[in-house]
Amino acid sequence: MPGSSRKFVLGIAGILLAGGLIGWVYDHAVWGLLVVALIILVWQTRQLLSFNRAVHTRDFAQFRYGEGIWQQMFSRYNYEHERALRAKQEYRRLLKEIRRSTDAMPDGAVILDEDNQIVMCNKAAKHLGGLKRKKDRGQRVDNILRDPKLTELLRSNAFAREIEIPSPVKDEAWLNCRVVPYGANQKLLFLRDITERIRLTRMRRDFVANASHELRSPLTVIGGYLESLSEDPGLEKDWGQPIRRMQQQARRMNSVVSELLELSRLESAGPASKDEAVDVRGLLSAARKSCAGQEDVAEIEVVSETNAQLLAAGNEIESVISNLLSNAVRHTPADGHITLAWSVDKKGAEIVVTDTGEGIPAEQIPRLTERFFRVQRGRARDDGGVGLGLAIVKHVLSRHDAELSVTSDLGKGSEFHCRFPAERIVLEPPVPIVSGGKCG
Amino acid sequence: MEASNFTDHISRRFNKDIEDLRNTVLSMGGLVETQLSRAIAAIVSGDSELGLKVANDDYKVNNLEVEIDEECSRILATRAPTAGDLRLIVAIIKTITDLERIGDEAEKIGFLASKLAGMDRPADSYRELKNLGSHVSHMLRDAMNAFARLDVAEALEVVREDELVDEEYEAITRQCITFMMEDPRSIKRVMNVTWAARSLERIGDHAKNICEYVIYMVEGRDVRHTDLTENVVEE
Repeated sequence: MPGSSRKFVLGIAGILLAGGLIGWVYDHAVWGLLVVALIILVWQTRQLLSFNRAVHTRDFAQFRYGEGIWQQMFSRYNYEHERALRAKQEYRRLLKEIRRSTDAMPDGAVILDEDNQIVMCNKAAKHLGGLKRKKDRGQRVDNILRDPKLTELLRSNAFAREIEIPSPVKDEAWLNCRVVPYGANQKLLFLRDITERIRLTRMRRDFVANASHELRSPLTVIGGYLESLSEDPGLEKDWGQPIRRMQQQARRMNSVVSELLELSRLESAGPASKDEAVDVRGLLSAARKSCAGQEDVAEIEVVSETNAQLLAAGNEIESVISNLLSNAVRHTPADGHITLAWSVDKKGAEIVVTDTGEGIPAEQIPRLTERFFRVQRGRARDDGGVGLGLAIVKHVLSRHDAELSVTSDLGKGSEFHCRFPAERIVLEPPVPIVSGGKCG
Repeated sequence: MEASNFTDHISRRFNKDIEDLRNTVLSMGGLVETQLSRAIAAIVSGDSELGLKVANDDYKVNNLEVEIDEECSRILATRAPTAGDLRLIVAIIKTITDLERIGDEAEKIGFLASKLAGMDRPADSYRELKNLGSHVSHMLRDAMNAFARLDVAEALEVVREDELVDEEYEAITRQCITFMMEDPRSIKRVMNVTWAARSLERIGDHAKNICEYVIYMVEGRDVRHTDLTENVVEE
């Protein structure tokens, strides 16, 4: 029991006792007690009412009868009240601060509940996505940002994926969207303005395409003159070798230019259609035939048990196969062995090109598909390759939702896997195979 | 007006049905918007592949229309909605018809784009079509926003905008006629441009219709074929 309580009880008891004593002196002890008790009751009631009024009106000057336990209670209440008030102000300030910092974020952020309804969004989301802060609260976010891709992203709950949608506010602006889960079933949708990035990518692509295109015509002229020069009988003997070298380099440059053009075409094209069924086994056999006749070429074998067809652009798959095969031929000694395989399983299908060549150092494998990247082996450039083959392979495959994976053992050989998803495979060919599927 | 005004029922299932229906209509709107912006991009950039893709994707819009229509009939039959809900269902049935027509027009523009890509292009690469197209797609976007937010003010804005689109269409037609008179060899190409402009103008009208349904849905007034601007300003 706190000291004030004890004092209060003792005080009351003392007054009662005094009342009783006075009453006893006048022979009416009970009356004395009663009168004193009544006085105590009135006194305490007044204090209670005054306290109540002070608490309600928050006008603490009104609390006039403060003494003893009431004074204590009152100051305690006052203290707690002020502390709560201060804490509230502090929270409000903090909240404002957080709000201000999210508003300062350059990226739009939208808090979504489990039904993808908007809980809150920051200022950038307002500007980038055209959301209205108050009005759109409780509205599903894909009712306002109505791109089918975003609806699909929200439905699939694929949190690792990013998508690009045209901005609903500005023409020709693009937004990058990402969804991050947080808290209990809540999601955070990020919007980022990537117009500039897309513009730069497009500029780069256009530049490469235009530059290659512009280089082509002078090259044709140079090549033409070199050809007629090389066939000129009146030419001095010393000139034969340099002109042959020049012709060789002009041809090489020409193939660089046409592969660059092909690459920029692939980059700007969307996903490949699924209208054409490609007989991969036939393509592999044809590729084998075109290489097998030459000298210094390793033995090539085609392994395929399946008749499965690939829904893809035929000429592009052909260029994938020929690029992979010519790489394999170039890096495999004549006594080596190259296998071209086409196989189907439940998850999809695979074209695998295996060779027993010199292999690729593991740290260089991730860089293989970069343009003009060459595996460092001391003997660069004279192997006849341009350095764009695998970049083309990668772009063709990504156009077909497929993936390239490379494994290699230094000194033993390499394996190139092109993995296609199941929805691009037809097991039963819809039409009888025209180009024969002879196994090599 | 809050979006949740339509979803205040004792039956939770009914709430969900109606909310799902609204969401499907809006996602159909999103699909149509994408189709339209792609069709316009195909014309402006002379991308025949994109144009054909738009034309081939129209079936998605049609499928959604049939699906939503069936769902509306089902709700009408099983729930017998009244007042605001009834207006919502009626407005949706009409809105999807207009959305489907917009999809058809986008399909047409896609076809025209693939045709125009094969012909020689003017120096301004169809700038006037691009302007009209961007105008019209803004209208469609605002119309769908008004539908989502049940925002009468925004709907009215779109209705007003339709006049500008009509003017722009007039200007393009006049320009096309001049071209054809100057050089009769270009008639075939310019005719296609005229058709595309015509389709865009029709899309503007359909967007306007959708806005009128929004006003009907929110206020319960039929504002079709009236001088709407004056009417509402007075009130």
